[in-house]
Amino acid sequence: MLTLDYHALLPELIVAGTVLVTLVVDIVTRRKHLVAIIGVLGLFAAAVPILTLSFCGSLDFCSSTEASRVMFGGAYVIDGYALVLKGVFIFAGFVALLLSIGYLESDRYYEGEYYFLLVASVLGGMAMASSRDFVSMIVALELVSGPAFMLAGWRKGDARSNEASLKFFITGVIALALTLFGVSLLYGLTGTQQFDQIAVLSETVADVPLFTLAVIFIVLGFGFKVSAVPFHFWTPDTYQGAPPPVTAWLSVGSKGAGFVALLTVCYLALPAATDVWGPLIWIVAALSMTVGNVVALKQTNVMRLLGYSSIAQAGFMLAPFGAVAASGAGDLARPFQATITYFVIYAVMNLGAFGTAIIIGQRVGSYELEDWGGLSKYATGVALSLAVFFMSLAGVPPLAGWFAKFAMFRATIGVGNWWGYSIAIVAAVNAVIAFVYYAKVMKSAFFDDVPEGIDVDVAMSDAIPAPIGLAVGLAVVGVFLFGVLPGLAANVGNFSTDLLGTLGL
Amino acid sequence: MTVSIADWFKETANWVFILLAIPTLLGAWRTVTSNNIVRSVLYLVVSLGGAAAMFLSLGAAFVGWTVVLVYIGAVIILFLIGIMITRAPLGMKAELSHASNVRMPAALLSLSMFVLVAWGLIDAFSNTAIEPFEPTPTSDIANLIFSRFVVPFEVVSIVLLAALIGGIALARRDDGGGA
Repeated sequence: MLTLDYHALLPELIVAGTVLVTLVVDIVTRRKHLVAIIGVLGLFAAAVPILTLSFCGSLDFCSSTEASRVMFGGAYVIDGYALVLKGVFIFAGFVALLLSIGYLESDRYYEGEYYFLLVASVLGGMAMASSRDFVSMIVALELVSGPAFMLAGWRKGDARSNEASLKFFITGVIALALTLFGVSLLYGLTGTQQFDQIAVLSETVADVPLFTLAVIFIVLGFGFKVSAVPFHFWTPDTYQGAPPPVTAWLSVGSKGAGFVALLTVCYLALPAATDVWGPLIWIVAALSMTVGNVVALKQTNVMRLLGYSSIAQAGFMLAPFGAVAASGAGDLARPFQATITYFVIYAVMNLGAFGTAIIIGQRVGSYELEDWGGLSKYATGVALSLAVFFMSLAGVPPLAGWFAKFAMFRATIGVGNWWGYSIAIVAAVNAVIAFVYYAKVMKSAFFDDVPEGIDVDVAMSDAIPAPIGLAVGLAVVGVFLFGVLPGLAANVGNFSTDLLGTLGL
Repeated sequence: MTVSIADWFKETANWVFILLAIPTLLGAWRTVTSNNIVRSVLYLVVSLGGAAAMFLSLGAAFVGWTVVLVYIGAVIILFLIGIMITRAPLGMKAELSHASNVRMPAALLSLSMFVLVAWGLIDAFSNTAIEPFEPTPTSDIANLIFSRFVVPFEVVSIVLLAALIGGIALARRDDGGGA
């Protein structure tokens, strides 16, 4: 008889229930924003068991005093790492839903189904964070991207949106095929698809060339999902063409799922192959930073600019991991912590940046940078919020971004050999390049003149929709909180790796 | 322990393999090269049928029949219905055959991929003898799905639900307006 730890599964169960309820509510009501509100409440409710699970380990009266709850023989694990990531996915879904409410009201496409798909995608991310075998992980990864493919093409009448969806879909499917092929080879070699068993059994096949090939396929497949260079070609077109709230979800939720997959698989399943994926990730990280930032310099459309910026940020996130693994310096816990810390901060500031961009886009009617000129002269608050997020992305203290960069540099330089130093230099050069284009947006918003054709009175005629305002406000608070109290973010990163440590890995 | 070519041909199972592999490969080849999309789909049936038969010959009855039911039975029909309802022009279509300037790189890429994987597989498994085994009863698979793999199973059901709902919303003809 199968016994389940319902407390541990509660967050997923609540969100799964929410997915179904949104569908039913969509049928019975004509007021579609109710569907979104149910989605928001469901995600909010799912955050409660995540908190209770987080503190359960330190409380005596809890049903399980184990820090991590292992289910199905190690195939599904609720530990600090999983909980932190679930929290990030819920937050990202929460913000994306809030951004969508205001956005879809001004648009004339199906609404109820849209919210349903978005919540389903969040559920995928949550299941993904706990998956510790390939079957669960890939199915969950598809639940993240499947709805996202369709959401990207939601504006059916818009050719750009169609292009966004199709490019995303085709590259996504190719990436999936590549990963699955690698997984099948790995299964053939080891006879198992569960991460902890692969880690043990793969030591005997570490010298077989086919094992190397399988690892390369898997890492490359996930590389598409995180849109790292050279697998990034779909990203700018998709980010520009998809409805902006969907882009916000893609840049954090969908990309995050790719990161989780890459890190979990490399760290838990493939420690025997660090000499393969270490240099690979090192190269991909260096390329992503450089190409993403250099191309972003020339962008005139803010959505494309944020697209390239997110490619570059992916490079920053991977850098410590690649440096430590490539040099074979052993302890992967520290880069792991740096990467998770970076990801948590990136999620908050990037969602805020997209939220602000959506507010401005709706008022100005364009995402072209030249139309954003002189924003501060007629919308000071919005321009300030733009400054907060873009300066945070650039890494200016006291905004959260500086600590993300600091943790990344500390981990890469801490390696203490040329793998670490060289990528730290690449990252430093790139941080400067990145500052240039983030500052370019600032200059446009604060110092340029209001361009002809932008009617300030029309642009300012509506108040900011409350849901978007709430989403951006939350992100502003987050950016300052993490920036002023960096210990908070570091603790989150520590929390996730401490518990990974208790698994004996 | 290496097997000589002559010994290889003495084995009946290998003849079965060859008989199944030839139509599978030809079907796959014609699927890609055919200029008519309906024919492409029908050639795919041949290829998938060969793959299913190969699973059966390996004793993996469940996987074999799943390929028949799901791929040949459902996915191919879906392709044909998809072609019909989108009112795609049937018959020969010049655009289906790619411009010749991408043919060579594509062929080169596929070939090198094939050589790489084939070499890897031969290197890893050529000397591995497969022990005779009892075919897995389907009831074991069913038990596993509802115990060990219950989370991915439930997740798949939501993937399919999402695909269904999203597909309808996207494919539905409308004047750009929602309900």
